[in-house]
Amino acid sequence: MSARSKRGSALEAVLVHALLLVAVVYALYPVLWVVTLALSKAGGIEPRVIPVPHGADEITLDNFRLVTGAGDPERSWLFARQLVNSLVVSFATAATAVAIATPAAYALARFEFVGKRSGLRGMLLTQMFPGVASAVPLYLILDALHLLDTRSGLVLVYAATAVPFAVFQLRGAFLAIPVDLEEAAMVDGATRTQAFLKVALPAARPAIAVTALFAFMSAWNEFILAATLLGRESAFTLPVVLQSYVGEYSTQWGAFAAGAILVSVPVMVLFYVAQRQLLSGLTAGGVKG
Amino acid sequence: MSEAIHAASRTATNDGTSASVESSDTSLPEVPRAMRCAARGIKKAFGATPILRGVDLEIPEGTFAVLVGPSGCGKSTLLRLVAGLEEADEGAITLADRDVTHLPPRDRDVAMVFQSYALYPHLTVRDNLAFGLKLRGTSTAEIDERIEEASAMLGLAKLLDRLPKQLSGGQRQRVAMGRAIVRRPTIFLFDEPLSNLDAALRAEVRVEIRRLHDRLGATTLYVTHDQVEAMTLADSLWVLNGGLVEQKGPPLEIYERPRTKFVATFLGSPQMNLLSGRLVKEGGLVFAEGGGVRSRVDDERFRSELDDGREVTIGVRPHDMFLAKGDAPKIAELKVEIVEALGSEAFAHGWLTSSGPTVIARLDAADARTVKPGSVIPLGAAPTSIHLFDAATDRALA
Amino acid sequence: MKHLRALVTLIAVVAMTVLLPGCGEPPRGIVLWHPYRGGEEAALKKGVLRFEAERGLKVTVLAVPYEAYLAKLEAAIPRGNGPDVFIGPHNRLGEYLLHRLVAPVGDAFPDADAPRYEPVTVAAITYEGERWAVPLASKCGALYYNPRLLPEAPRTLDDLAAKRDFALGPGIWPLAYESHTAYWHSALLHAYGGELFGAPASTEGGAGAPPGFAMTGEAAERSLDKARELVATRVVPDEASGDLVKTLFTTGKAASVISGPWLAGDLEDKVPYEVVPLPSIPGVGAMRPFLTVDGVFMTPEGAKSEGARALARSLGDAASAAERAEIGKQVVATRSYWSAQDGGGDAAALSPEAKRQRALLVAFHEASADAIPMPVSPAMNPVWVPAEQAIRKVLRGDASPRDALAEAKARYDDVMRTPPREAVSPAPLVVVVGLALLAAAFAVVRRVRAPGFRRELAASKPAYKYVLHAAITILVLVVLPLVAGAAMSFFAGTREEARFVGLGNYVEILTARGKPLLSHGSFYLTLLVTVAWTVVNVALHVSIGLVLGIALARPVLRLRAIYRVLLIIPWAVPSYVTALAWKGMFHRQFGAINAILVALGAEPISWFAKFSTAFAANVSTNVWLGFPFMMVVVMGALTSISKDVLEAAEVDGATRWQAFRLVTLPLLRPTLLPAVVLGSVWTFNMFNVVFLVSGGEPDGTTDILVSEAYRWAFARNAQLGYAAAYAVIIFGLLALMSKVLGRIGGGDAKEAI
Repeated sequence: MSARSKRGSALEAVLVHALLLVAVVYALYPVLWVVTLALSKAGGIEPRVIPVPHGADEITLDNFRLVTGAGDPERSWLFARQLVNSLVVSFATAATAVAIATPAAYALARFEFVGKRSGLRGMLLTQMFPGVASAVPLYLILDALHLLDTRSGLVLVYAATAVPFAVFQLRGAFLAIPVDLEEAAMVDGATRTQAFLKVALPAARPAIAVTALFAFMSAWNEFILAATLLGRESAFTLPVVLQSYVGEYSTQWGAFAAGAILVSVPVMVLFYVAQRQLLSGLTAGGVKG
Repeated sequence: MSEAIHAASRTATNDGTSASVESSDTSLPEVPRAMRCAARGIKKAFGATPILRGVDLEIPEGTFAVLVGPSGCGKSTLLRLVAGLEEADEGAITLADRDVTHLPPRDRDVAMVFQSYALYPHLTVRDNLAFGLKLRGTSTAEIDERIEEASAMLGLAKLLDRLPKQLSGGQRQRVAMGRAIVRRPTIFLFDEPLSNLDAALRAEVRVEIRRLHDRLGATTLYVTHDQVEAMTLADSLWVLNGGLVEQKGPPLEIYERPRTKFVATFLGSPQMNLLSGRLVKEGGLVFAEGGGVRSRVDDERFRSELDDGREVTIGVRPHDMFLAKGDAPKIAELKVEIVEALGSEAFAHGWLTSSGPTVIARLDAADARTVKPGSVIPLGAAPTSIHLFDAATDRALA
Repeated sequence: MKHLRALVTLIAVVAMTVLLPGCGEPPRGIVLWHPYRGGEEAALKKGVLRFEAERGLKVTVLAVPYEAYLAKLEAAIPRGNGPDVFIGPHNRLGEYLLHRLVAPVGDAFPDADAPRYEPVTVAAITYEGERWAVPLASKCGALYYNPRLLPEAPRTLDDLAAKRDFALGPGIWPLAYESHTAYWHSALLHAYGGELFGAPASTEGGAGAPPGFAMTGEAAERSLDKARELVATRVVPDEASGDLVKTLFTTGKAASVISGPWLAGDLEDKVPYEVVPLPSIPGVGAMRPFLTVDGVFMTPEGAKSEGARALARSLGDAASAAERAEIGKQVVATRSYWSAQDGGGDAAALSPEAKRQRALLVAFHEASADAIPMPVSPAMNPVWVPAEQAIRKVLRGDASPRDALAEAKARYDDVMRTPPREAVSPAPLVVVVGLALLAAAFAVVRRVRAPGFRRELAASKPAYKYVLHAAITILVLVVLPLVAGAAMSFFAGTREEARFVGLGNYVEILTARGKPLLSHGSFYLTLLVTVAWTVVNVALHVSIGLVLGIALARPVLRLRAIYRVLLIIPWAVPSYVTALAWKGMFHRQFGAINAILVALGAEPISWFAKFSTAFAANVSTNVWLGFPFMMVVVMGALTSISKDVLEAAEVDGATRWQAFRLVTLPLLRPTLLPAVVLGSVWTFNMFNVVFLVSGGEPDGTTDILVSEAYRWAFARNAQLGYAAAYAVIIFGLLALMSKVLGRIGGGDAKEAI
């Protein structure tokens, strides 16, 4: 590499970092308000440009204690259960959505069949209908399926909602995987299903992980359906609990903000841990491009 | 390795090839029992586009058969039909006397090396090699043994625990071959396996493939568009064009006796010179005349009518032409435009007539120094090396 | 196939076994739902426990968030899955009745009990001669003042107005309240003798006219003039949200605020305060706030249960009331508590804190006597939005009170459109649906009769095994609810009392209800806004996502992992709270954005006063919320592009930009396109940002189609059919758009979608 292009790339690195820093500021600034809100005593913060509490006497963890029920074993226990509910429901949603969407996406990427085009169109169309009042019909359907008041029912609803996008996402990923891989497997003695499970699926792992993350997120933050379809407090997910700090006349913003932060931490940890898996170029190298 | 079968097939190879090629020109006899792979009347279209329009194929035990042709001729499709990756619209395919026409690939016992190598990106080299064996329920001990054998053969021993992305192009190619070898299939299928390698490596691997074939005695169907690979590797060469087999046979025979203008130009580098002209009978001798050429024709060779005045295309390979010195009969005079000296030999490019096509003639290395661009040189060629094609049908006169 | 089926079965089994056991149902007994939190919840539970102990009955208590409360009641009660008793504000009774969620309380509130409760609360829960709830507690506004800033309790507005222009100190407002909301403005309105809701102020309609939007006439205009004067003379700050009111008071930036009893819980010892009834306006009258009464309602099912009725009655008794007052700090409706206070009781034994607490309750109790119970009627709901739009317009100085109110009245009348009463012939609908079905059937038949169809169908079988479960799931849980929703568009009225109107809803929407096509709130104007909203948002999402995704994909980048995590934070934090944080940042007087602008030497901007700036505020919030998603999509898609290709382009002499435009972008397209198309669709239907940030301000101009549909469904007389027709039209538009885009994008786009 020549000296000139090296200097260029150093300058470029600075520019890229500057760009990323600007983006980080944009991303974090409103969140700082939320954090300050969660930490401040007043339950509201004085307006200022840099939203950081002035001095230690303004900072309190009371909101976090309130949300997690610290000091009250029964409430802490309930909070822990609700956290577990959220995790179970969101992971189950991700797993179910991926399990439902992956074979369908594979078929839509690899097979020609009657109804393929209309199926794809139809799936896109489902995304276009605003769900202004679909909570009640969903309630009726789950009632008919005897899945009301169960986390399985909620998971099924979340997963079904996430499936169309997951199918599009995964179909793109399968289309990007060279057909040669599966053909090689089939020549090697694999059935179509084995080729799918043993070759295409591992090759699509990053895309599957990203899709699972999307499904996870859609379940993680949802509260209207969860509150409508679940019937017991011990079965509630965290967003439902959080939302109950919003009242008709007043909102406990401090508690709400503290809860929001608690809710987002697991997602960030998950993303941090999984990002290598999410973004590693696993397909690279398998096929000479 | 099933030594017995391979040894047996090896002995049957050479005579089997030529015999079958001669016999199966127009009629469709029953598939001979000794055929490892045979296809009959294969037709295949993608949508409205016909790709194969009635192809027959026979590969005796242990033969290295090469399908060659320009892109779009259907050679890869034919290979994929044999592999079972596509299903034929019409026709039948047998492998080792089994009708496999409607069987999925896994039930055909074939192994295939892909142009892209198609290594499983998430598996190590070892697991890539073991993949097909595991699917077939081969015992672990057997798998290990076969991997060891194949990796020794291909020099993969040190790479077994790497992932494909950690390999060079040549290494990946060898893994792809290893994956086929460990399978010990009825037939090896190669789909342009060298096209992603650089020239030096390509020559090296080409020799290695032939060496492996000789060592294993494995029946092989090899698809390429590269005529050097076709000529050097094939026991039996099948030239495809426009979804049909133009000609088949041992490569040298095809080179020497191309049956159509297409085959004549497709094989041989530089290409055969083609000039339109006609036949002239003079004093019991037959001459081919036209485009600045006048050459005697070895009429003994032809069984068909060499009528006076018949319109023909005259074909002479550059290698069959020489600088006519002294009293050697000359067939044409070449106005030289450029001279390509390759060291051991040279090619003169130029025109015979002002309006004619470019003609290439081979020169000895020594002559290359004396022939200058712009000069006019006399060219000679043996009457036996003159190819004649019917001007209307483009088929060689026989 | 075996493996696939095994996989699916395995997952299903895991899902069922993991999830079901946690949901084994214990006997539920009497079911009680409530929206309470904290002390209120604790007090309620205590009362319930006592009831259980006394009566030996089991009671299951469930706290449901306010935002999901009505939807849950509406879904559960008609199906018999609802509670037996539930707690709610009395002013929702209209909606409860509309959806048949309640029954009269019967012997839970016998006539003999009438003296037990404050008369004003009894009046509130009585509607058309029936008692619908057992009153628990009331909520109304009162004046909190800071005795350090105002040594004497302000009795009149003039007392406060005298401190205008920061006479009390820099940045200290004499009074803060949510001046822009109809709920709080009504206190002023009542002082002038006006009404928000009631029989029309003009007498033309006569006695027979149905009650409706009543904020017209001189009283209303004078109240608005007064409000405008308070803001303009800097007695009261602009558009203070409830949260801002609280913050101003706790930080000593407001000497007094008008708020409800809930504020006290947040004040604790942060600031000294006293509570007195609302000030009066000299020469006019006292400000009178609205009063809402929390009551125990009986569902039709629960009303049949003696135990449930007993529970409701017991929650109103003296012991429960005392608990609610002491623990829940509620202004209870039960008189015995107050008479005990009057008698002095054990006041001497109380701690100073408890004393203050009591004083606070007493003050609110006192204020409630003068308060006006909110009216009960389903028609109450649609009053709020037009009223608030008028108030905001006047406060901003954009219109005179008379014009603003006339416009609001017109809008109310427009929204209260009565769907045709007479029976509608189903013929046009049958023809339209029939034609559509016929066309579909024709297409199917042609397809089936096409040559080779049988063979294709046979060849499709393996594929069907892969898609079957996805197809079933989507059909049952996605398509079916949507079809059910779409079917509602042919009806008017509530779900329980639907009246067939054929294509009437569509005709009205598409003809802008007879008004000019581009008039305020018309379908076409909203459509234009929606299209602009979608285009701007998606363009920004994609470009920011691309830039960041590519920047993060640099081969060498320090802190890459950190950047990635920090940049997905907007996606990770629940959007409800962040959207409201954004709204706060755009506040004219207290927002961070204006603070930055001022620091940079620019003029502060009144963000929600103009369409362009309000739109920009919405967009910046939505872009903030949405770019991480697109960034992750891009990062995922980039992994599938081999570096060779880019290097090849570099070798070929392409500049970075050329390589990006000619190589990276085309290669990203197949993965990016579905995300972009779906992103556009989602943005088109992204109502919550619009709802939470601008709320349609100014004057409903930033509303998009889907927020309009939501207003029809939830804020305007529960016209679900009308909202459904909106949804179907939105669906049709998007389907059309995708088809057109598909055409433009050619085969490639079709392939990708």
